[in-house]
Amino acid sequence: MQKRLPLILVLVTGIFGAVAFFIPHHTVQSVDETFRNDVQRIIAAFSLVLGLGSILQHHLTKIQRKAENWQYSWITVITLFVSGIIGLFGGIDPTRPGILPTHIGGFSFHIQTLYMNMMVPLAATMFSMLAFFMASAAYRAFRARNFSATLLLAAAFVLMLGAVPLGRMIFHPLPSFAEWILAVPNTAAKRGINFGVQLGILATSLKILLGIERGWLGGG
Amino acid sequence: MEFWKKLQAIDRRWVYLVIWLVVMIPLIFPFKIKPVASPPVQSLFTYIDTLPENKGVIISVDYTPDSQAELQPMLVALLRHAFVIHRPVGVLAMALQGLGIGEDALRQVTAEINSHARTSADSVLNGRDYVYWGWTTPPITVMLGMGQRITKVFPVDYYGQKTESLPVMKRMKNYDDAGILVSVAASSFPLYWINLAQTQFGIHLGAGITAVSAADFYPYVNSGQFSGMLAGMKGAAEYEELLEQSMVKRGMDWKLRRKGTEAMSSQAAAHLAIIAFIIIGNIAFFATRRRKS
Repeated sequence: MQKRLPLILVLVTGIFGAVAFFIPHHTVQSVDETFRNDVQRIIAAFSLVLGLGSILQHHLTKIQRKAENWQYSWITVITLFVSGIIGLFGGIDPTRPGILPTHIGGFSFHIQTLYMNMMVPLAATMFSMLAFFMASAAYRAFRARNFSATLLLAAAFVLMLGAVPLGRMIFHPLPSFAEWILAVPNTAAKRGINFGVQLGILATSLKILLGIERGWLGGG
Repeated sequence: MEFWKKLQAIDRRWVYLVIWLVVMIPLIFPFKIKPVASPPVQSLFTYIDTLPENKGVIISVDYTPDSQAELQPMLVALLRHAFVIHRPVGVLAMALQGLGIGEDALRQVTAEINSHARTSADSVLNGRDYVYWGWTTPPITVMLGMGQRITKVFPVDYYGQKTESLPVMKRMKNYDDAGILVSVAASSFPLYWINLAQTQFGIHLGAGITAVSAADFYPYVNSGQFSGMLAGMKGAAEYEELLEQSMVKRGMDWKLRRKGTEAMSSQAAAHLAIIAFIIIGNIAFFATRRRKS
């Protein structure tokens, strides 16, 4: 029963979810709406609790065992609680205050202030490093070793030059040619790949619904 | 021989230094760039610009701060455009971390518009002209539910106001009232909008995406599933150019800051530097190979 019940639930709800797209009858639509608006939200709320629980368990265990880099776990746990409390009770910004006092004199630590001054620069810094790695990788690995690599190199050249004003100055129709590469050969290849991917998704979904693929039940 | 070998094995920190310089210098001393709109950008702009008066614009903030440099100028330009043509605007975030970005862009653009407004009708007010619905989960509930009744999906907005009580919601009941939904995304969210919102409810869609993912979305522009698309910083700069031309024609020569266009000089210099690196790397590669053979 431990395995059969989840399998039956997946089969019934999965098939109903797909069938509801094709049956406009109000009873079917009403049940479908309840599933989408209420049931799924309740499940999503549970996943939030689960996520919170597992992140806390992971880091508290790390702190308790003094595992490698355990000090950083403190930062995660403290940040989680501080931002959670400020987000829930501190209001959005000074113009929309909450029930918690979230400023000391002129210094405000509302959720939007924290977000704009901590989250945004940290995330942007991480992502901006990509430019350096990409340039280094392009210098070391982008070689015209064979015909395919040369073709790739030529396409990359046209696209990169087409994206900068110098490309138009060197050869006026270059941006249009770059656009053509994206709109025609690229689209043709992408469509082929997409058909393959979608058929694969359909097959895997059917295998899950019919209980042939049971990896999601756990235990390998 | 030694020289070419050394050139191939150059310390990567030199590459990093060059990239840092070519990114930073044009940011401090930008050179003038006049973007020319590509067809996907032009079609999105024309589509929004010619929306019927009773149709609103929905913008979905489907990205997080890491891709803000590329996508925020698009969000700002789209908001400016929607407010300039006086269409009701609804903004939501499908990415939880995008909530603050949406709030920041709305605050910036409404302040710009209101600082130039002469009458109450010219200004944009929260609840009257726009609504920030915020975020809710799961995405399938939002995308399908908004096709039936938006207030049911978002009973309260980001600021905690009851959406039923907002005048703008009378003009934005569901997708039927929206002329277009533009998903500004650094992920595959625009495709979910196609699968769930467009297939079910027939809403027109636009996409603002990062340059690196542009190739993935071209099939949907060609098929007409997207009414237009802004790809990367270049797409943002082209949209800013079109918007400025349109605003000047309407007598709104406000000279608003164009962050997408400003950053284009830095991006152009970085592209040229990478092209130069690839050429040098290949010359060194062929020179070494010829000597060996």
